Amino acid sequence: MLKPALVAVTLIIGLSGCSNLGVQPWEKGQLARSDMALDSEKLDLALDDHIYFSKEGSSGGRAFAGGGCGCN
Amino acid sequence: MTQKNNQINARQSKQIAGALALASCGLFATSGHATELSKKADDWKVDAALMYYGEQDRVQAVEAIGTAQKAFGDDSVLDLKLVVDSLTGASASGAVAQSSSQTFTRPSGNGQYSVAAGDTPLDDTFHDTRVQANVGWSEVLTPDWKLNVGAYGSKEFDYMSMGLNASIERGFNKDNTTLFLGTAYSFDVVDPVGGRPVDLSSMAVRDNFASEEAYRSAFDATRQSGSDNKQTADVMLGITQVLSQRWLLQANYGLSSVNGYLTDPYKVLSVVDNNGITQDLLYESRPDSRLKHSFYVMTKGALDAGVVDFSYRYNTDDWDLKSHTLETHYRYYFTGNFYGQLHLRYYQQTAANFYQPFLMADTPLPEFASADYRIGDMSAYTIGIKFGHRLSGGHEMSYRLEYYQQDPKNNGTTIPGELQNFDLFPTQKAITAQFSYSF
Amino acid sequence: MKKIWLLLSLMAAGVQAAPSLDHQVFNAQNQAVSLSEFKGKVVYVDFWASWCGPCRKSFPWMNEIQTKYQDQGLAVVAINLDTDNELAQEFLKQVPANFSVRFNPEGDVARSFDLLGMPSSFMFNRQGQLVQHHVGFYADKAAEYEQELVNLLKE
Repeated sequence: MLKPALVAVTLIIGLSGCSNLGVQPWEKGQLARSDMALDSEKLDLALDDHIYFSKEGSSGGRAFAGGGCGCN
Repeated sequence: MTQKNNQINARQSKQIAGALALASCGLFATSGHATELSKKADDWKVDAALMYYGEQDRVQAVEAIGTAQKAFGDDSVLDLKLVVDSLTGASASGAVAQSSSQTFTRPSGNGQYSVAAGDTPLDDTFHDTRVQANVGWSEVLTPDWKLNVGAYGSKEFDYMSMGLNASIERGFNKDNTTLFLGTAYSFDVVDPVGGRPVDLSSMAVRDNFASEEAYRSAFDATRQSGSDNKQTADVMLGITQVLSQRWLLQANYGLSSVNGYLTDPYKVLSVVDNNGITQDLLYESRPDSRLKHSFYVMTKGALDAGVVDFSYRYNTDDWDLKSHTLETHYRYYFTGNFYGQLHLRYYQQTAANFYQPFLMADTPLPEFASADYRIGDMSAYTIGIKFGHRLSGGHEMSYRLEYYQQDPKNNGTTIPGELQNFDLFPTQKAITAQFSYSF
Repeated sequence: MKKIWLLLSLMAAGVQAAPSLDHQVFNAQNQAVSLSEFKGKVVYVDFWASWCGPCRKSFPWMNEIQTKYQDQGLAVVAINLDTDNELAQEFLKQVPANFSVRFNPEGDVARSFDLLGMPSSFMFNRQGQLVQHHVGFYADKAAEYEQELVNLLKE
């Protein structure tokens, strides 16, 4: 039953090896936009998640880490 | 001559319109940034929303949510959240419709309610108010490492939940790659109205008993004393990757282990004969553990005059409930300060292995059974629109309207006798209306 | 032999792939100027952009050290990396700078300095040698940054 976990973990760690992807720090003007933040609509997402959690058989999946300006 | 002039004028005016559009785009870009910049970084940032959720003939809910965020220095952020919601209305009990009226005992054992012939049985006992509070702290440990910790508690009449969470983020590759590892634990206490029903015990209905005492002792025999609890342990591993100057990608894997009381104490199953006539009503029974996996991939892009995201989620668990979710948001700025947004979502799930729309009288009782359509075969979709204004000083106001439709489906069960006359898998429609303000 | 001459002349023209003051940037009048104009001073080179929050916090501090130490030979040079100059001008209207502001919309100088994050700062001594380098701006480390500059000014 933990086989999916193994596959996912391998995949995610593997993805982090693609270190030539990405942009230079000064090229993040668009990514720094407040509407590009992963939690820019966190209230909407929280309310939606609450509805779907109580009306459907599965839930979860989201995370707010990463992206953005890359400043400091 | 005049015709030629007109042509020139038409061409000129087109050029002017083009120039104006260009100019306004430039204006938009600057003013959009200006609004964002004029916000002081060290103040409290508050987001608040009020939402109404209404199902056709069923549950109505109002939910108020507020978050406040404050940065302390360059490294620390405090996050507070308060949620209050209030629920009324009826929800499907799990019993099937019949050609004659049906009588059900309320979960408390005090009183009963009737459902008209042909109607899907709904339990209208449900009224509840829930209060939830969260507190979170995030700390930049080094330029590469970030730690988040949090706690929450929520309380409603028959349910209490509290939890802790912690996560760590590590930036790589000039912060183009962020690895994320999070863990959460929650402890819930379930204390249902009228006590927890004994698994698969038969609902005692007052009409079938000669005296109140006889009914009472029969009802009490269907109840277990005291409350029960449920523990959830979650682990999530995620990666966010900047793909280009405008696009980023996120992939998450979540593992969730739930143990304890997972049965819905208010749900029942009809036991029917070969003619589809109800012989008995049994309280449902679910396994006391569930191991869930979720895989989530999302990409988000910054457009010249908007933002778009697409996500796909796959869930699977040891109840054999599998689901696929596709979702997208597309925002378009009509002006620098006014946007419209479209939200589309499609969801599809296959039933848990113990889901049954009803039980057959001539078949031995299974160990676990539930007729809760929410763990049955189902598809659902959402269409939503939102409009938002960015106001001066970094304030923002938005309105949102969504339509949510669930289409439960038969998981392959043969429908006997008169049950074929009824819609055992009724479509459920709901709308949400929301107003939000941030400052 | 010809190739070596070509290489040498290229180097002389200031094509450097390392943090140094031998780089061409634009001034407010959009003229190409060299950072070497500040040679002989202690130079604090800061890379910033309008959309970068910590950059905004660093401006008042840079104004302060410029005022405090310019007589002792400090030059603060803030190089803007916005591709759209209007955004930089908007920022400067809100957060005026009393130090030298330069522009490198192409980002080639930033590339030569191999920035790891925004903002990034580089301290050069009076001989034009790179002596210190910081990624990000942290208000609680400002005193530390200032001390490093004071030490260089005393050299």
